[in-house]
Amino acid sequence: MLTKELVAASTVPLVLSVLTEGENYGYALIQRVRELSGGKIEWTEGMLYPVLHWMEKEDLIESEWRDAETGRKRKYYRLRKEGRTALREEKQQWMSVHETLASLWKTSLSLT
Amino acid sequence: MENVSQFDLNTALRQWLEQLGQSPQIKAENLKELESHIRDSVVRLQSKGLSSEESFLIAIRTVGSVGKLEPEFAKVNRSPWNMIIHGVILAFFSAACWILWALLLVPRMFERMLSDPPPVPAFTRLLIGCSPFLAVPPLLALVYCLYALSKKSDVRPSWMRFLAATVGAILLLAFPIIVAVLLHFVEWIYPDPFAGN
Repeated sequence: MLTKELVAASTVPLVLSVLTEGENYGYALIQRVRELSGGKIEWTEGMLYPVLHWMEKEDLIESEWRDAETGRKRKYYRLRKEGRTALREEKQQWMSVHETLASLWKTSLSLT
Repeated sequence: MENVSQFDLNTALRQWLEQLGQSPQIKAENLKELESHIRDSVVRLQSKGLSSEESFLIAIRTVGSVGKLEPEFAKVNRSPWNMIIHGVILAFFSAACWILWALLLVPRMFERMLSDPPPVPAFTRLLIGCSPFLAVPPLLALVYCLYALSKKSDVRPSWMRFLAATVGAILLLAFPIIVAVLLHFVEWIYPDPFAGN
């Protein structure tokens, strides 16, 4: 399980990354992240919606209410150009953290 | 035997949404989306063999309590009101500064109205001389408001801070000005018996 802080920091890049696969609605977004993380990333599901609305205000994504195959309406979110740019930046930052930690842990492993 | 208390998903969902909707921070559209989420969640849990009541209870638990959701929605929904209140405070603050400025006109008005005007005390004259600077605090407040507006909505400073700062400033400005005006009255009511002798 991730810490609260890490969940908060990773929500935006996760949402942006899932939306690169195509437009999606809140519930399916959560399922997708759960499935990919093998259940290690568990969101308090309702918390995702304020984040989505914040991302919409920041023009990273856009949304639309549409009829789903179930006959009910669902709110679908789609990536915008600004979102793709933001994702590229996020990617760089997460990769630099990842690479630094990975190289540090490799060295310490070889020493022990 | 059949379950005695019939569970109705629509009723339960409506009650849950009503409870959530009492929070002014959560808008009607937010509720619609959460309803859609719960329904999806219930369908999925039912497909795993749970009853509709069990599914509903698990679905609302995983979505989070009102206490948890409310502050998060408040962060994204508050921004317009926060800025409107900033604007109202700015207007009141400017008006208060103008009133203080107008208060400093009173000694001069007195001088013109009375045939034998009392002398204007030095402290009062000093503040009258400084009165054009009363335009500075409202301008600073305006600059601050523009700075707050330029911030992203989630990190924008709350109007409470602005209110506290402006009330403090008004009290600090009003105190010497009121003293200066009253001093002039004192000169008029209790004139210095040795003056002019």
